[in-house]
Amino acid sequence: MKAGDEIPVWELPITPTLVVSTAIATRDFQDVHHDRDRAQAAGSKDIFMNILTSTALCERYVTDWAGPGVQIKGISIRLGAPAYPYDTLSFSGEVTEVADGIATITVTGAVSLGAHVTGTVRVAA
Amino acid sequence: MSTAQTLVDEAVHEKIMAAAEEIKAWGEAAEREARDLVNQPTINNWLEAMGLESDRFHQGEAPPSMAQVWTMYGQGGRHPDRDPLHAMMNVLTDAGFNGVLGTNSEQSYDRYLRVGEQVRVTTALDSVVGPKSTGMGVGYFVTSRSTWYVGDERVATMLFRVLKFIPKVTA
Repeated sequence: MKAGDEIPVWELPITPTLVVSTAIATRDFQDVHHDRDRAQAAGSKDIFMNILTSTALCERYVTDWAGPGVQIKGISIRLGAPAYPYDTLSFSGEVTEVADGIATITVTGAVSLGAHVTGTVRVAA
Repeated sequence: MSTAQTLVDEAVHEKIMAAAEEIKAWGEAAEREARDLVNQPTINNWLEAMGLESDRFHQGEAPPSMAQVWTMYGQGGRHPDRDPLHAMMNVLTDAGFNGVLGTNSEQSYDRYLRVGEQVRVTTALDSVVGPKSTGMGVGYFVTSRSTWYVGDERVATMLFRVLKFIPKVTA
């Protein structure tokens, strides 16, 4: 792993099943993640992905690339556009720094409305 | 502070910042035990939903970003009275900042958790910054710090930031 290494783009179709199953698997029962009527009443277009899942998918993206032996030290994300069903979440990433035994990987997960998630995943180099 | 005066009534701002100082002084509060031990069925549900395949998560280790999952409130869970994050959010809601939007999550893992471990979490109010004019409306950024422990050993931390805002009236 060295600075400049690029991670191949990963495209994940966002389905209602994905949004609901990941919300429940992260034990997040907020209605906006599984009930479209309630989500729309709250001013949202549809149900949308929860934050624990945005973090988890960054974990998966880096793990799928680096291999299961990777030791993840931290995941920091900033949230942008909501990830709604029937959109596509497109991940791209690059190793931006390797220093003091830690590789910092910059990750972006984009949807049609713009960046859903931007952040860094720190792994043991 | 001129920005505060122009965006939010000064008395309201002073009250919010005073409440923030009081709640910050609680330090690590709202300590809670996870409902369940770190366990394989919950890991399996998470792996299936996320589509992550890894042998190590069938051999005793838990995915690192699940740290937060173990101490989620669950369906119908109630926040303790002195939960710093929710206390601060209530202060802002009462002041008219009733919109809420998660903006940042910064998790660090000291180590991966193992099946059979009992996790507990504490929450502290880290900072309240504002008022800011944002695309959502005028609001305050509230940052809390969660710390997960197994026994007395720290295993993970998270800075979590939300924007509490007065929603813009849309045409």
